[in-house]
Amino acid sequence: MRYRRSGFGFGYMIFGILAILPLIPGPLQGPFAKHVLVMVLLFASMSQAWNLLGGYCGQVSFGHSVFFGIGAYGAGMAVVKYGLTPWPGALLGAIIASIVSLVISYPCFRLKGHYFAIATFAIVEIFNRLFMVWYWVGGALGLDYPIIEEGWQNFMWYDTKTPYYYGAFALFVLVFSITRWIERHRIGYYMRAVRDGQEAAESLGVNSPRVKLAAMAISAFLAALCGAFFVQYNLRVDPPMVMSLDMSMRFVLITILGGLGTLWGPLLGAAVLIPLQEYTRAIWGGLGGGVDLIIFGLLIIVIVIRQPRGLMGFVSWVMGRAQGRG
Amino acid sequence: MKRQWSKKVLALVVVLLFVGLAGDVAFSQEKVIKIGTLFPLTGPVALAGQRCKAAVETAVEVINNSYPDIKVPLAAQEGILGGYKIVLVHADHQGKPDIGKTEAERLFDQEGVYAIIGSYNSAVTKPASLVAERRKKLFMCGCSSSAELTKRGMKYFFRMAPTDETESQEFVTFVKWLNETKGANLKTFGVIYENTEFGKHAAEEAKKAIEAAGFQYIADVAFNPGATNLNSEVQMLKGKNPDVVFGACLGADYILWVRTMKQLAWLPKVCLNYCSGYQDPIIAQQLGPDGDYFMGTTGYSPELAELMPAVAPVEEIYKTKIDPPVPFDSDSIQEAVATFVLAQAIEKAGTLDPDKVAETLYANEWESPLSLGGKVAFAPGGQNIKAMSVVTQLKGGEYRRVFPLELANSDPVFPIPSWDKR
Repeated sequence: MRYRRSGFGFGYMIFGILAILPLIPGPLQGPFAKHVLVMVLLFASMSQAWNLLGGYCGQVSFGHSVFFGIGAYGAGMAVVKYGLTPWPGALLGAIIASIVSLVISYPCFRLKGHYFAIATFAIVEIFNRLFMVWYWVGGALGLDYPIIEEGWQNFMWYDTKTPYYYGAFALFVLVFSITRWIERHRIGYYMRAVRDGQEAAESLGVNSPRVKLAAMAISAFLAALCGAFFVQYNLRVDPPMVMSLDMSMRFVLITILGGLGTLWGPLLGAAVLIPLQEYTRAIWGGLGGGVDLIIFGLLIIVIVIRQPRGLMGFVSWVMGRAQGRG
Repeated sequence: MKRQWSKKVLALVVVLLFVGLAGDVAFSQEKVIKIGTLFPLTGPVALAGQRCKAAVETAVEVINNSYPDIKVPLAAQEGILGGYKIVLVHADHQGKPDIGKTEAERLFDQEGVYAIIGSYNSAVTKPASLVAERRKKLFMCGCSSSAELTKRGMKYFFRMAPTDETESQEFVTFVKWLNETKGANLKTFGVIYENTEFGKHAAEEAKKAIEAAGFQYIADVAFNPGATNLNSEVQMLKGKNPDVVFGACLGADYILWVRTMKQLAWLPKVCLNYCSGYQDPIIAQQLGPDGDYFMGTTGYSPELAELMPAVAPVEEIYKTKIDPPVPFDSDSIQEAVATFVLAQAIEKAGTLDPDKVAETLYANEWESPLSLGGKVAFAPGGQNIKAMSVVTQLKGGEYRRVFPLELANSDPVFPIPSWDKR
């Protein structure tokens, strides 16, 4: 495996395009299109956070919705219970999510491969039930935002989606930049070494438990920030909304569809999957009977069968053909 | 070859654009009012959502066409406001609050609906109705039962059904009446509820009403919806042995709860249920004799038809819209009421201005033959203060009305006969 040290020109180009996207007149100006863009950036960021652990480090976790949820509750509690701005809550939530992730994964990382994945399944259920009966955080009733002043201070807007878009964009830049830095840094190489062969990596002096725990903590921290954004966007949080297997699966699915362990895979996956999900629901959801969900499922199956390496595999195949010809 | 392809595609796109534009033009020339519906058409409560959607479709069918034999306001005429027809745009929120909020935004911003009717789950109605309020658009809520919804001081939100709060008070009033007139001597209370927004809220309201009336609240038992076993929960109830149990268990959970009580050979003296599994005639059928002598509130069931003669012909239309055909239930009929009341208010206001229509909704008492009590009127915050429900008791698989006295057609059987004496 060779990892080329190329420049980040392509990345800056993507960031640039995303930065001016809401300013382009045309179909992207509609509120629903803006909502879809916000969701794409949010889920790309969230999947990238998952990708750090699952893609680069090879530790498949189905428990990431727990960290997403802790971040959401951090911001939600700050606003609803304490009447503060969501910022300190989001930061505290992210720190707590990191600590929780370390406490959970320390014993779990002794389990290898599939066993670790199975253990994380249980964690989602445990946290979901815990938050359902924990009345300090609203229990089953959840937390509903009061109507307060809009703006960056409270990070909420009622009638416009553009600031949310830039909020999601900032999150996206943060998560992708961190991932890119890790990718090039020593720890990134260690993570991939652990993924590709833990015993081999350890024989070369890589402290694999420490590498895995570091990947987990960073991943959980970023996931919690995404959760804080999610609650600010929906102005409500309850356990089934955030801490569910359904949510966890979404991060995994987007990453696998886009390309596991690649920098741009999560963005590609989200850019395909989220519009698909939102627009199929908008067009066919009203028919009832889950037509939208059936079509959505079929499309995923088609993509996965056609290109098991995900969309990035497809992209590199196209690039390869183009280079081969040119 | 390739160029021919691209030409064909281009031609197709142009044709489609024209068709789309022509459709739009044709649409705008007709007099239509677009109204959105927002229900859980998929997910865990899809069945209820489908019923609610069918109820709204039924009401629109009656409003848009002339049905002289149906004795419901607006049935005899065609359309409202001198020929405007209602066109429905359906959306599915899957039982998820975040999707509900997004879909409400889409209905208003993309589909350009005038108002939304929805959305069954209280947890979804909360964020979705906030979207309507911010846009100064009407949100008509049929059956979401959380009392919180109408305590938010909203101007454009209206709810038809009784709340968990009013039902709790009605239960307590009924128990007091039993004590006073039948010498029942009921003192201690317990609540068993599913641990969701609905169940937890019902339990909180129950506790408030029970303690306010000076009774003892001794058992608070929550369970996870969709549970496969309720033995420990029923054991808890049995251990505390309250005289009266309030239940907030939906669908299959209700069946499991009743059967578990039978298995553990325990029953309270009186058992009252919130809008829940108790009310569903299909579930009553599945339980057979085991379901008898339980009680609960009902806003509508087929046995109430004699009190509400206008329902039958409307119900016939409803049965054509839902597969398999079922009669209205307490929840779905409220969505039809919401649709009728909205149309009546538009008609009376003589305008589509949401502010004027909201004012008109508050200023009048509405004829509502599909509501128990026949009237709808709103208090500030949007609660229907004429919302009534009647306490019924299952006897021989039939819902018999036992309270309030003016609506009763049967005497309550109590205490519930123990399992071995049936």
